[in-house]
Amino acid sequence: MAISKDDVARRVKEVTARVLNIDAAKIQTKDTFSGDLGAESIQSIELVASFEEEFEIEMDEDEALSVTNVAKAIDFIYDTCVKQGK
Amino acid sequence: MKEYPLQNIDHPNLIEDMFPHTLPPRIMFDGKIVEEIDGKRVEFDPQQALKRDLCVTDTTFRDGQQARPPYSVAQQAKLYEMLAKLNGTSSVIRQTEFFLYTKNDRAALDACRDLGYKFPEVTGWIRANKGDFRLVKEAGLKETGMLTSASDYHIFTKQRQTRQEAFDQYIEVVEAALEAGIRPRCHLEDVTRADWAGFVFPFVQKVMKLGEQAPDHLKPKIRLCDTMGFGITYPGAKAPRSVPKLIWYMNNECGVPADRLEWHGHNDFHKVLINACTGWLYGCNAANSTLFGYGERTGNPPLEGAIIELCSLRGSTMGMNLCMITEIADYMRSIHFPIADNYPLAGRDAFTTKAGIHADGMRRGDRIYNIFDTETLLGRPPRVSITDKTGVDGIVVWVNDFLGLKGSKDAVGKLDVFKIQKWVMEQYNAGGRLTSISEEELEEQTKILLPDLYAKYKGKK
Repeated sequence: MAISKDDVARRVKEVTARVLNIDAAKIQTKDTFSGDLGAESIQSIELVASFEEEFEIEMDEDEALSVTNVAKAIDFIYDTCVKQGK
Repeated sequence: MKEYPLQNIDHPNLIEDMFPHTLPPRIMFDGKIVEEIDGKRVEFDPQQALKRDLCVTDTTFRDGQQARPPYSVAQQAKLYEMLAKLNGTSSVIRQTEFFLYTKNDRAALDACRDLGYKFPEVTGWIRANKGDFRLVKEAGLKETGMLTSASDYHIFTKQRQTRQEAFDQYIEVVEAALEAGIRPRCHLEDVTRADWAGFVFPFVQKVMKLGEQAPDHLKPKIRLCDTMGFGITYPGAKAPRSVPKLIWYMNNECGVPADRLEWHGHNDFHKVLINACTGWLYGCNAANSTLFGYGERTGNPPLEGAIIELCSLRGSTMGMNLCMITEIADYMRSIHFPIADNYPLAGRDAFTTKAGIHADGMRRGDRIYNIFDTETLLGRPPRVSITDKTGVDGIVVWVNDFLGLKGSKDAVGKLDVFKIQKWVMEQYNAGGRLTSISEEELEEQTKILLPDLYAKYKGKK
């Protein structure tokens, strides 16, 4: 069964909460990773690596690291999952 | 004012005629260089200068030894052999000079000559005393430098002589050299603080006159000694500090041809290399130097720097084996000769970046932060040294370099190495570390955090 966008959104917030050590319930889709959620440079990279692991996908490193907020991350990961048949 | 519209091009203009990367960056000229001398406009043509037999001479074993405890005979022979190998098929490093006063001096000279290299040719160095010629003759040398101090600081204050007395003494020694069949090389000590017209020119003119009847191999040479590093290259600078003017006068008013003229400088004002190399362009063929610039007080022109400068002017390595610069530096360190880590061309960190933004550049292409292909020309690939400032890009460069993954399908990116970067940051944030991360530590973390790649490329888990 193809992945749904709601499922992607839920799991992106869970991964983000785990990596940044914050409460998933407090993460809003408009939040930026570094400005609102306090991700340091290395945590941004860890987030991308963790998303790859969670969704079993491979993302273009430069494109993935240029995504700055949760909503765009959900879109980007959802599109990648669809392209890679997840 | 001319308007310059933006040229939005598809491919980068890397100005590769000047920055070929396979060679040190070219030094190119638009036209002639102009000086005003004696109220007249004088032109110097760099293209004509490059047709001359420009070379480097060495004084590592003379001036270089005045600034440190003596080298052993074996160390001098080893360094001499390495200089010969640095020459490769060229004779760029033309001569090297030795003291002749102690047993150790003479043994070193013999040990070097016994190696049988044609270049660098071995010459001597003596004070301006007739008696010292015995040493030159006994050593069987064809040429010797002799101290002929030029400034009144030396003549009046140090030597307690009149100009006439100094003049006569020097000329007597030059005559003795010619009679003995030894080419004299007059070292005009402190010439950048001397009265050129009142002493230097009369003396040099007399020396050149004495050489008129001598066969070519005995004709006197002149070494211009910028003893205190006062020489300057700025066009229009006044005598006696002007390098261009001094050389012009030597060529044109004193009859010293370029191939019998040599510049010897000191680094008291950080001008030592540019002064020596400027001499090449204005009419002086030889730039005297020492390995890594080590010499009296602040040192002499660094030999390796002069060689790279000549490569840049010529657009060629001229058959030299430049990797020997790295081997000589390694040898010097092994005998406890200090070379600063940030020393150009030979320091441990000369091609190593610690800055994250530079590491990012290196990841995108070696040429961004590498002065030329240092891996091929010097045997020194560009490296990153890992600290808390290097960032994940530095780890990427280090791991790819360490595992030899550059350009391969297994080359790692930021996502692959962020765990190593996290470990690095923990050392500084939690451990209060103040030193760089060592290669051994990074290897260990690579083994732990990238086990598959480590096993594949290093052959063990």
